[in-house]
Amino acid sequence: MPEQVGGRTRVTKGDAMIGPVVSKTYRLGKLAVTALSEVSLTVAAGEFLAIAGPSGSGKTTLLNLIGCLDTPTSGEVEIDGERVSTLSPGQRADLRARKLGFVFQTFNLIPVLTAYENVEYALLIRRRGGDTATRVRAALEQVGLRDRAAHRPSELSGGQQQRVAIARALVGDPALVLADEPTANLDSHTGQEIVELMRRLNHERGITFVFSTHDPRIMKAADRMLEISDGRLR
Amino acid sequence: MPLYVKLAIRNVFRNRRRTLITLAAMGFGAAAVIVFGGFVNAIYWGVRESTIRSQVGHIQLYRKGFSEKGNLAPYDYLIRDYAALRAELLKIEHVKTVTARLGFSGLVSTGDTTTSFVGSGVHPEGETDLSSQSIIVDGKDLTSGDPRGITLGIGLARAFGVKPGDDLTLLTTTKAGSINALAVKVRGVWESGEKAYDDRFLKTALPEVQRLLDVENGEVQSVVLLLDQTDNTAAVRERIARLIGERGLELEIKTWEDLALRYHQVRELFGRIFAVLTLIVSIMVVFGITNTMTMAIFERTREIGTIMALGTRRRGVISMFVLEGVALGVLGGIAGVVLGVALAKIISAFGIQLPPPPGSTRGFAVQIFVVPEVLVQAFRLSIITATLASLYPAWRAARLDVVEALRHV
Repeated sequence: MPEQVGGRTRVTKGDAMIGPVVSKTYRLGKLAVTALSEVSLTVAAGEFLAIAGPSGSGKTTLLNLIGCLDTPTSGEVEIDGERVSTLSPGQRADLRARKLGFVFQTFNLIPVLTAYENVEYALLIRRRGGDTATRVRAALEQVGLRDRAAHRPSELSGGQQQRVAIARALVGDPALVLADEPTANLDSHTGQEIVELMRRLNHERGITFVFSTHDPRIMKAADRMLEISDGRLR
Repeated sequence: MPLYVKLAIRNVFRNRRRTLITLAAMGFGAAAVIVFGGFVNAIYWGVRESTIRSQVGHIQLYRKGFSEKGNLAPYDYLIRDYAALRAELLKIEHVKTVTARLGFSGLVSTGDTTTSFVGSGVHPEGETDLSSQSIIVDGKDLTSGDPRGITLGIGLARAFGVKPGDDLTLLTTTKAGSINALAVKVRGVWESGEKAYDDRFLKTALPEVQRLLDVENGEVQSVVLLLDQTDNTAAVRERIARLIGERGLELEIKTWEDLALRYHQVRELFGRIFAVLTLIVSIMVVFGITNTMTMAIFERTREIGTIMALGTRRRGVISMFVLEGVALGVLGGIAGVVLGVALAKIISAFGIQLPPPPGSTRGFAVQIFVVPEVLVQAFRLSIITATLASLYPAWRAARLDVVEALRHV
C-alpha cells in the first residue's frame, strides 16, 4: 500500500502510481488535444479498480499510461518501483512482459496459435526459464479452459477467448493486470462471468486489476471506482 | 518445434491463396534459374566434349619449350621417340587412345585458286576416337591405305568448291626452310561444329607430312591422349607429370582446359548471361515478397500491436517477420527445385531444336542438365532473396506505434 514519505507518495511492491500530476496531449494536425489533464492516481497492490467514463473521456489513454504503452507529456508513471520515463522503449517492453498483463476489449489473441500457445507466448517473451508447460496448463485451468487448450481462437466463443486472454495476462505472475473494457464485446451474461472470474483471481491470488468500463453492472464489482470525463479524474 | 517457428509457418499459410501465388512466383523464379543453369551447363558440356573429341583430345604433350617458342620455330620442338612414349602412356589407367600429330601450314591450291590452310598430319586409325564429334559430311575418312588422301573442313571445301576425288597441291616450308609441295587427293569433307576450325583446317596422313616437311622419321609435334572420361583429366595429368619427372623427359603437358579456348569464351559469355538472369529473378522475387509481406503487416497491424503490448521487443517483431521470410524462402526454394527439375526433364525429353551457338555451325536439341550445384544455388537464392525482402517490411512492423497499432481496425 502507498505510504507517505516526506510529502511524496512512495509506492510499495506491486503498486502502480500515476502522478503526482500527469498530463497527456496529442497532436491532431495543428490542434493539440488534451486526453488527460493533471491526473494523479495510485493503484495499490491487490486492488480491483474500475475506471468508468464515456467514450473519449480518456479511459484508454489512462490505461495506456499505466500499461507503459504510452508516455505522458508531463508527469511520471511508476510501476512496482520502476520509473517508466527513465526506460528505453525496449526496457518498457521488458517491463510490460515482466510486470503487466493485458486484457483487451477485442480479446486480441493471435489467431494462428492455439489457446495453449497464446498463453505460452506470453511466458516466452518473459525469457525466464522454468516449467512452461505446467504454468500454461495451470493458467488455463484457472480460467476453466483446460479442455480447450488445443483450440484456435476461431473455434472458441467470445467468452472463451476472453478467458484465454486472461490466462495469457496472468500466466507470468504480473504485478498488475490492465483490462480495457474487457466485457464490451460480450453479452451481459458472459460479461458478468468474465468479471466474476477476474474478481475471483483477485481474491484468490491477490492479482491487482485495473479495468475500464462503462457498464454499470460491472462497476459494482469493483473495490474502488474512479470516474473520468474530459480527461480528468473525479 | 519452437513457438516462434510454428508462428512463422502458420502465419505464412494464413492467407493461403496469396501465399500460393507468392510461392508460385518464387518457384518459377527458382525454376528459371535451374532450367537456364542446366541449359548453360549442357552447352558447356557440349562445347567441351565436342572440342575434346573433334580437336584437342584430353591431354597433349609437346617438346619442352614448344608453347613458348614453338610459334616461331615449330620444327625445332619435335618429339623424337614417339613409339616408346606411346607404349608408356598406354599403360596409364583411364588412357584410351594415344596418337601423334604434326602440324603444318601453308597454301593449298586447286591450280586455279589458292588459299592458306592449317593442317595436321595424323595417324588415321588413332584419330578415329578423336574425331567422334567431327562428322564426315561428304566422301570418306582418312585411312593409312591411302597416304595421299586428305580430308578438309566443310568451310574450306566450300570456299574452294572442291569435293571428294578432286586433286589439290599443298605448298609449305620444310624444316630446313625450303619450299616443298605435295600432290594430294580430297578423300572427305568433315564438319566439327566449330566454324573457325572448319574454315581453315585439313588433315592428312602423318608419314606424308613428315616427308613433306623433311623431318626425321618418327618425329612428331604433339602426342594427343583421349581418356575414358573428361573428369579423369587431372588425375592422368598428374600421373604423366610424375612419369616426366621420373624419366627426365623433355616434355610439357597441356590439358584440354589450356587448349580449348572457345570453351572458356562460351563459359564466360553464358556465365554472364546466367548471372544477369539470376539478378533479374532475384529482384522480381524481392519485390514480390516485399509486397506480400507489406500487405500481411498491414492486415496484422493490431496483432503486432498486441504482441508489442505483451512485451515483445522490436527485435522480436523483426525476427518474427524475417522468420516468415525465411519460411517463404524455404518453401519457394522447394517449389522451385521440384518445378525446375520437372521442367528440365520435360524440355530435354521434347528435344526442342536450337540454332547454332556462337562460333558453331550446327544447331542442336536443347538438353537441360539437372546440376546439383545449380539446384543448391537456386535454393539458396530463394532463401536469401526472401530473407532480404522481409527485412524492410519487418523493420516497418517493428516501428509501429503500439497505441496506434492497437487501435487499428
